[in-house]
Amino acid sequence: MSSKQEIGMGSYVGIVIGLMVIVGIEVILTYQHLPVGTLLLALLCLASVEAFVGVMYLMHVKYESPLLFWTIFPATLFVLVLLNYVWPDAYRMARMSLGH
Amino acid sequence: MSESELAMGVGHEVVMEASPYGFDKKKLGMWMFIVSDACTFGAFLFGYGYMRVGNANWGTPFEFGSILNGIVMTIVLLSSSLTMLAAVRATQTNQRATANKYLWLTIGLGTVFAVLHLREWFAMFGEGWGLFSNPTGGPVQFGACFFSVTGLHLTHVISGVIALLIIMRGYNRGRYDSTHVETAGLYWHFVDLVWMFVFPMMYLMNAR
Repeated sequence: MSSKQEIGMGSYVGIVIGLMVIVGIEVILTYQHLPVGTLLLALLCLASVEAFVGVMYLMHVKYESPLLFWTIFPATLFVLVLLNYVWPDAYRMARMSLGH
Repeated sequence: MSESELAMGVGHEVVMEASPYGFDKKKLGMWMFIVSDACTFGAFLFGYGYMRVGNANWGTPFEFGSILNGIVMTIVLLSSSLTMLAAVRATQTNQRATANKYLWLTIGLGTVFAVLHLREWFAMFGEGWGLFSNPTGGPVQFGACFFSVTGLHLTHVISGVIALLIIMRGYNRGRYDSTHVETAGLYWHFVDLVWMFVFPMMYLMNAR
């Protein structure tokens, strides 16, 4: 059970509608024909905002002990950042083997 | 009383240290699973992202119809998160009939999502797309990435629907309580949030 006072169902409806609006913005951005790298960055930023809002409110992390937040977020981010170091190297090696 | 019985705490109340997180071990276990699963999806999506940006001939196979299908799937999944929240609330206040209604709604929406997804898949198979085939003559990695990532997510959705059916049955029989439903709800919300990355990365990045 959550330790802090949760918001009402009406607020949850507002949050979910907000998430749908962000999805709408993503679709609009897609048809602006931005460069691939720029579009990827924009979509990832918007998806990260959605994920953060979802984890904090829908998954109730905001209403749990702060220890939960500090246990899961830094560890997950650390692994994901490390992946970001590994993949470019894998991509570089794949291209080297093709003779590029 | 024998020494082994004393060592096992027989006849004595076992003293357990309270969880520093303030909730039971089921929920902590689910959070650990979610963290590891987030890293799994992260690995898939990072790999795909590098291939997508680094390949100039990738192509954009999705017409607006497919994007519209993806938008409907997103709305369905987000709505299911809302019904799941309502179900958890109802179990916490012992409103069994309301909890059942919202759990059935969540299961129904999850099933609709899976059907829409499979319909999209079979339409693509019909056009010649596959794990190792690209009918447009572009790189075959698109099919491998698309079917791997969306397939992994679809497996999560179908598993979630089955898990919710089991939890609901146990809840109605008095075997499970609101904490079980809440833990299943955490998983369901996670599956929903993963889609918030899968949809833009796999569909929108490949829109024509």
